[in-house]
Amino acid sequence: MNNVLSVSGLTKNFGKLCAVNNLSLEIGAGHVFGMLGPNGSGKTTTLGMLMGVINPTRGSFSWFGEPPGHEVRKKIGAVLEHPIFYPYLSGQRNLELNATIKECSKENISRVLDIVELTTRKDDPYKTYSLGMKQRLAIASALLNDPTVLILDEPTNGLDPMGIAEIRELIKKIAAGGKTIILASHLLDEVQKVCTHFAVLRKGNLIYTGPVDVVGSGSETVEVGADIIELHEILKAFPGTNSISRENGFYRVTLRESFHGRDINRYLFENGITVDHLVTRKKTLEQMFLEILSTKN
Amino acid sequence: MLHLLSIEFRKMYSYRTFWVVCGLYFLTIGFSTATGMEFLKWLANTIGKFGSELNTDRIPLYHFPDVWLNLVWWSGFFKVLLGIMVVISITNEYSYRTIRQNVIDGLSRWEFLFSKILMNVVLSAASVVLIFIIAAVTGFIYTPEINWKYVFTDLEFYPVYFLELLSFLSYALMLGILVQRSGLTIILLLLSYMLEAIIKANVDDYLPWLIQFFPMESISALVPIPFYRYAFQPIQDYVDPVAIIIATTWMALFNYFSYLKLTRSDL
Repeated sequence: MNNVLSVSGLTKNFGKLCAVNNLSLEIGAGHVFGMLGPNGSGKTTTLGMLMGVINPTRGSFSWFGEPPGHEVRKKIGAVLEHPIFYPYLSGQRNLELNATIKECSKENISRVLDIVELTTRKDDPYKTYSLGMKQRLAIASALLNDPTVLILDEPTNGLDPMGIAEIRELIKKIAAGGKTIILASHLLDEVQKVCTHFAVLRKGNLIYTGPVDVVGSGSETVEVGADIIELHEILKAFPGTNSISRENGFYRVTLRESFHGRDINRYLFENGITVDHLVTRKKTLEQMFLEILSTKN
Repeated sequence: MLHLLSIEFRKMYSYRTFWVVCGLYFLTIGFSTATGMEFLKWLANTIGKFGSELNTDRIPLYHFPDVWLNLVWWSGFFKVLLGIMVVISITNEYSYRTIRQNVIDGLSRWEFLFSKILMNVVLSAASVVLIFIIAAVTGFIYTPEINWKYVFTDLEFYPVYFLELLSFLSYALMLGILVQRSGLTIILLLLSYMLEAIIKANVDDYLPWLIQFFPMESISALVPIPFYRYAFQPIQDYVDPVAIIIATTWMALFNYFSYLKLTRSDL
């Protein structure tokens, strides 16, 4: 497989603090790669090193198999932390400046402004923009050179629910176009919805990396609700039941391997019980994330 | 190179502070150098009211070749305005964090620095051209008899004036990159001469030969004070090659220190 990014042994110390410790990582073409971790786990520092603004203490990385350098960065669109622009320049002028730096055509500007729906405000100074508009302009700037790799660091920070949904749609749309996306976030729901692969960092250490698909696999959990007093006993008697807990007025049944939601449904029906509520819950990324964090403690 | 310069100009495009400070600077050096004769006449008139006499024709401020050195020396005072502008331009990049985004977008750190140095070159060159034109025009207006030999005398002070400006702006740029905060940097820039004067006063007693190697001193020494000649005293009306070597070395060092700081630090 063609690797877009290979990282080996990347380390950054800030004085005594080890922000990133011996990080090795491969990201393939077309992946939507989520970087997860609590605040201060080294996500932004890692991306900062990959984008040449932070000098690594040790280790190396390569983009597209090339050694790092400023020319290769022109092929990457990146927004790290919060949007950064010249406040007194208009959105249009800021993008023109960035197009000059990236040495790409200025004709792209109107296209990317359309994508992020900022065309009507493009001639207003950047400092008059709302936070959502600033975030969108940053994404526009990252898309400017039609990059093959897009790096987004907390792109939905500070946005309202509608803005978050818009950005999520935008990321999906961009990913569908075959671009590789590296998305740092602590919104796990976010990552699960758009990513194909993910990695978990904690205190600068990479503690997990793998595809998002595996998150849903494994044993199922079924929520059951019915207006019957002895439901608990009946569920306990079901051969597929591993454990039962009570949550939000429903029984949450964790099933043994090879048992599924339909089995419990059939079992209850055969026992003359019809349920009001029966939902199969796959394990969420959030649960898995917390599991990973706690097991590696 | 043009690419980097166009990046720098795009940054300044609608930055009002830049255009106002530069406008004020060029207006100030332009007007003050062009109107020296009118000022002398006004002075003579004022003094005349008190019964003394000042014969303005006896002070050939604007006669070739005096005019060349006179105007260069005078306008050299205002370079501090340009220095402040350079400080604002570089410290803005730190306070807006745009230096970080510039590098992320694909500018190398050297290219970033070089675009700032190029802007310094443009500002210095514009000053030199402006003063040269004003000196030439006023020279032809006020010189009673044009002697071409004198017209072309002392012109070497123009490249030296350029070196003076560029060295000072390189110093301002370095200070901005080292300190990164605009207010503090401007104060340090303004105090540089005074701080150096204090050190010089102490060094003078023991190692007088060392004084010419001080950075601010080396920049000032490039263009000597011309006005003593009107009090019939000898002046240095030539360019001292040693001063040029020292000032050029400092200029290179200032920019090299900027480069070191910029490449070694995390943005």
